[in-house]
Amino acid sequence: MTDLNKLTLFQARQGLKSKKFTAPELVQSCLNRIKSLDKKLNSFVTIVEENALKQAKTVDINLPLGGIPLAVKDNYLTKDIRTTASSKLLDNYIAQYDATTIDKLKKAGAIIIGKTNLDAWAHGSSTESSDYGPTLNPWNTQHLPGGSSGGSAAAIAADETIISVGSETAGSIRQPAAWCGVVGFKPTYGRVSRYGIIAMKSSTDSPGPICKSVDDAATLLGIMSGHDPLDATSIDEDPWKKPESRQNLNGLKIGLPLSYFPSQIQPEVKEAILKAAEIFKKFGAQIIELPDVLDPKYSIAVYTILQRSEVSSNLARFDGIRYGHDRSFFGTEAKRRIMLGTYSLSAGYYDAYYLKAQKVRTLICQDFDKQFQKVDAIIGPVSPTTALKVGASKGQAMFGELQDMLVEPSSIAGLPGISIPCGFDKIALPVSLQIIAPQRREDLVYQIAKLFEDNTDYHLQRPTL
Amino acid sequence: MSDNSITDAVFQHTARLSRLEIKPEEASIKDQLIEAAKYVKVLDELDTKDISPTFQVNHKNNVLRQDKIEPSLSQDLALSQAKKVSNGYFETAPTINKNK
Repeated sequence: MTDLNKLTLFQARQGLKSKKFTAPELVQSCLNRIKSLDKKLNSFVTIVEENALKQAKTVDINLPLGGIPLAVKDNYLTKDIRTTASSKLLDNYIAQYDATTIDKLKKAGAIIIGKTNLDAWAHGSSTESSDYGPTLNPWNTQHLPGGSSGGSAAAIAADETIISVGSETAGSIRQPAAWCGVVGFKPTYGRVSRYGIIAMKSSTDSPGPICKSVDDAATLLGIMSGHDPLDATSIDEDPWKKPESRQNLNGLKIGLPLSYFPSQIQPEVKEAILKAAEIFKKFGAQIIELPDVLDPKYSIAVYTILQRSEVSSNLARFDGIRYGHDRSFFGTEAKRRIMLGTYSLSAGYYDAYYLKAQKVRTLICQDFDKQFQKVDAIIGPVSPTTALKVGASKGQAMFGELQDMLVEPSSIAGLPGISIPCGFDKIALPVSLQIIAPQRREDLVYQIAKLFEDNTDYHLQRPTL
Repeated sequence: MSDNSITDAVFQHTARLSRLEIKPEEASIKDQLIEAAKYVKVLDELDTKDISPTFQVNHKNNVLRQDKIEPSLSQDLALSQAKKVSNGYFETAPTINKNK
């Protein structure tokens, strides 16, 4: 069989079990694709060829992910495999242990084929700030893949892997998934352990899957989730289980926040989201306009302060003593963020910045509570635009914040959300829809997304490469 | 919010607190800091007088574990990524009596 790399997780599992092909053939197919494409796309920082093929020969294919090629964002610690966070500061760092999620994915039989590119330290929404060069969008290599999990999203869109994992702090799963036209599932904060993932903004960091279909992403989320005693903010719940899908959305109220359609929104994005709302309506959901959702501009400001503050604290550990190089290896973007964070936490400014932002965070959470009394779930665009051109982020201090303005509020409140393809713009770049639900209601997110996917074919489109 | 004029002195002090050396070609960081500090002033539009801060969204606190020794990294493995090791310890730059 050729083109095994193009399979979804579901299809690959079926093929392996029915012995249509073997795990080494599947892994080799993805590695071949990486070899032929990655000089152009740069989705991967490290490729794990020898070990992956070795493991594929002995893996038990009856495991939930037995023999399935997995691409891992390079901020997950992977034992004996280099982990750089796309920063030269960690260029030579070999993790001594696996992140909890990596341990779970390995135990489920997944085979790591490589570590994917990201904005250095996950600071950004373009993958352009990587010290290993930008990743390019497989739909159009003059455009960005989004970020920070841009490598994982591009690898999925380009069929360089079957499944991938990313991490989201405020958009870093949903936004690159949207710009690359794939599915990104951001869980409730605490649903998936943060242990062993290089900390960025600890109070919102949420690891999650980026895949080719809603079912693939939900399956992976189930495997990654569950309480972890090594992460003090981990939810005390069993692993999440994918619920039954729905044939209709009767009785469901879906909210459309008017403030999620800012003036700078690309008309084709707006059009695609309103068209999606019509589909939900056709299947029985009641679409309710939400006129009074807090303006996302406040979330941008809250996120800017809190992210920088937590970054300045989290990146203080990189002193070059226990691992990695010294602090002179930080790039300009990391320095900019550490500086603003240190400033907002320093004596005399703490109340005005950090504390004020944490109070507004309360208002954002309260606003969602209020909206969820009126509706069961909220939909909107993931990003105000489709993928921007390479170079767009350069010299823009607030680039990421503005691109992520529509996913920041739900991240700040720790809500689950998904990004799914829902259209294309004039130059054939993907447009995506996000679905947000109250904390711990991934079941609802899944059911709404799955119904949309079952009744549309946007997720089946692939870029020509 | 207080006046956030980021003077050269404040900028240098922040760099020192951050343990960062800002190279001449990175001087634009200062302007971008001022720009970001100006942007976040939008929060002043919201009244937060009687609002408590939310530091953490799943409201867990005082998460403790039993004081029991669990398996952990071996000393060799823990030291394996260090540039300088001495007698089974990480070697750091001196912080006192630097000239001795």
